Amino acid sequence: MSVDARTLFERRIVVCVGCGGVGKTTISAALALEAARAGRRTLVLTIDPARRLADALGIEELGNEPRALPREALGRLGVPPEGSLSAVMLDMKRTFDELVERFSESTDARDRIMSNPIYQNVSDALAGSVEYSAMEKVFQLSEEPEYDLLVVDTPPAQHALDFLEAPQRMLEFLESRLVQLLIHPAFAAGRFGFRLFQRGAHRVFGMIEQITGMGFLEDVSEFLLAFEGMSDGFRRRALSVRELLEGPETAYVLVAGPGPESVAQSHQFLDRLEGFGIRLEGVVANRVRLWPDGAVPDAIEPTPRDLEALRDGLAREGGEGFPADAAARAAIDCAEGYAAQVRRDAAALGTLRTRVESRRRFWRAVPELDEDAHDLEALARLGRLVSESTRETA
Amino acid sequence: MAQAKGDLPLLDRRLAIVTGKGGTGKTTVAAALARAAADRGRRVLVTEVGRDAQVPRLLDPSAPEVGYEEREIVPGIWVMRIDPFAALSEYLGLQIGMPGLVARVLQNRGFRQLMGASPGWRDLITLGKVWHLEQMVGNGRPKYDLIIVDAPATGHGMTFLDVPRVVAAAVRAGPLRQHTLAVEEMIADPERTVLIPVALAEELPTRETVALVRRVRDELSIHVDRVIVNAVHDLPFSTDLGDLDAHLARLPDSLRFESLPAPTVLARCVRYLRARWMLNQRYLAEIQQHTKLPTVTLPYLTFGVRDADDLERLARATVAEPLGETV
Repeated sequence: MSVDARTLFERRIVVCVGCGGVGKTTISAALALEAARAGRRTLVLTIDPARRLADALGIEELGNEPRALPREALGRLGVPPEGSLSAVMLDMKRTFDELVERFSESTDARDRIMSNPIYQNVSDALAGSVEYSAMEKVFQLSEEPEYDLLVVDTPPAQHALDFLEAPQRMLEFLESRLVQLLIHPAFAAGRFGFRLFQRGAHRVFGMIEQITGMGFLEDVSEFLLAFEGMSDGFRRRALSVRELLEGPETAYVLVAGPGPESVAQSHQFLDRLEGFGIRLEGVVANRVRLWPDGAVPDAIEPTPRDLEALRDGLAREGGEGFPADAAARAAIDCAEGYAAQVRRDAAALGTLRTRVESRRRFWRAVPELDEDAHDLEALARLGRLVSESTRETA
Repeated sequence: MAQAKGDLPLLDRRLAIVTGKGGTGKTTVAAALARAAADRGRRVLVTEVGRDAQVPRLLDPSAPEVGYEEREIVPGIWVMRIDPFAALSEYLGLQIGMPGLVARVLQNRGFRQLMGASPGWRDLITLGKVWHLEQMVGNGRPKYDLIIVDAPATGHGMTFLDVPRVVAAAVRAGPLRQHTLAVEEMIADPERTVLIPVALAEELPTRETVALVRRVRDELSIHVDRVIVNAVHDLPFSTDLGDLDAHLARLPDSLRFESLPAPTVLARCVRYLRARWMLNQRYLAEIQQHTKLPTVTLPYLTFGVRDADDLERLARATVAEPLGETV
């Protein structure tokens, strides 16, 4: 059976997940470029790219509109005429505002929401609205016919997979008894258990107001009332977003770092993905130290003759006055030092690799490069590394 | 910033807030600081804020789980995990009484989401709990000499430290205002509190650290006097062998070793380690230049913190004199 990066590119959406600091943004961009090289009209959505990467993608300014990369530059990288690459950097606050505008019943309702102190303070905290906004934007863009494929770099959520839960949390929030209570106290009061809760809640709210001196309950009620008119639209929308994320057109790729802690987090990630019933396509282990020449030796132990040969070679090469003795020892120290790092990465990633391969998902270890990928050429090299070896693993 | 007033040894304060981007090793630094302080006879409490506590494992691989109660993991070092809802429950219980009712309301999902939505609430209550711990006394002296806060990753912003300001603007009266002012006073006092940014000498963490320090300078009154740069690669040979990899790469192909990798492989190893070293040096200089703060560097540990010796090594490095000038 074949586990090929190209099957990945036949999907509508590829979501790159993983914990912070593993190079998710770079891998997303590299995958997108590789998809463009495979002839797909591709859009990459990034969250917080390094400046030089953003420059390379032509998205220096924060904007909510995709920008196409110049045809000639792509052509030089082997992108065929039918393929293209655009990039967009997400402005989550603006996306959420746009959503409110879209679903408001009237401009009056919209203004009431926008000017409500709760909304102003919470729109980036409300029921995971940051994560939700990112996914909402994905949904919007997925409906645009000019792209075949969206590659999504996920937000650096504090709790890794929050963005997946975001639509559900939004739904639960809108449907929660507390929200219903605040919007429709009379309706909710009909239920017995609820009355009890209501009394308790009002009492506690009252006391919170006393302690905080805030018009907390009042602001919240007003916010929710204003929100109510649009909550139906929001609810339907959140359902669609969830369906898209969990549907067959969306593929998930986990980007993992090589360190033991990062690997532990990646295992947790896989647990949660499986908990969601989401099928992972494969894992890209990024910045892995690989031995240049096959399997890493168990130890770097030169024989006396090796040491002598190395020292003599370096003495000839370095010329007069070159400290060949120190140089030979330094070279061996470096080899041992690097070998230790290679062994460490292999040991840490071993468990993850076994798990991924036992589920017949692709596994790709991308070597750590001397420099981060800052230009399109470097991204293209990285993209080839990812897709080539996914074929090789098949 | 009150430089002169804040000119204290790192561990002589009451509160050290360790912060940084995710993946920089903040938690490891918090553990190393705790170790260094305990080595000097201080009673230290480390508070973690995330979902699970990592510090106990760093102090002792067989350490038990910790929760909302402080627990002495190794002699002189206590650890706890501040769950904002537990802290809120405790606070409201103290303020209102009726802990049963408070607990029932706090368990309600809608209520939790509302509270989660309220600006900086979790952060305020977390800091409030830290203040409460700072105030605790036993035998006529503070219960803990030093409290180390392993702060949430800086992420999008700095809500954690912005909190007193946000709340001071929103909270107009009542006991909470008094408590918030007390928290703010603690954080703003350079003799009591120091902020310790943790960075990696790489592009993104450097950028984020510079942004953090600028915001702290411009917008917050919290003392910061050094940046701890974690996982800095050392150059394993002296700089007069600078082009060692080029020499190795030029060795003739005919050179065959009995039990040593080929010269080209040796060259790759040397080049890799030198490239990491150069990258680290470049961003280290950038951190110093753009934050205008001296740095303390911690060595890159290939296998992370495996045992007490590794932690001890980091602990010593953590409290070393910072390098570079305060501009």
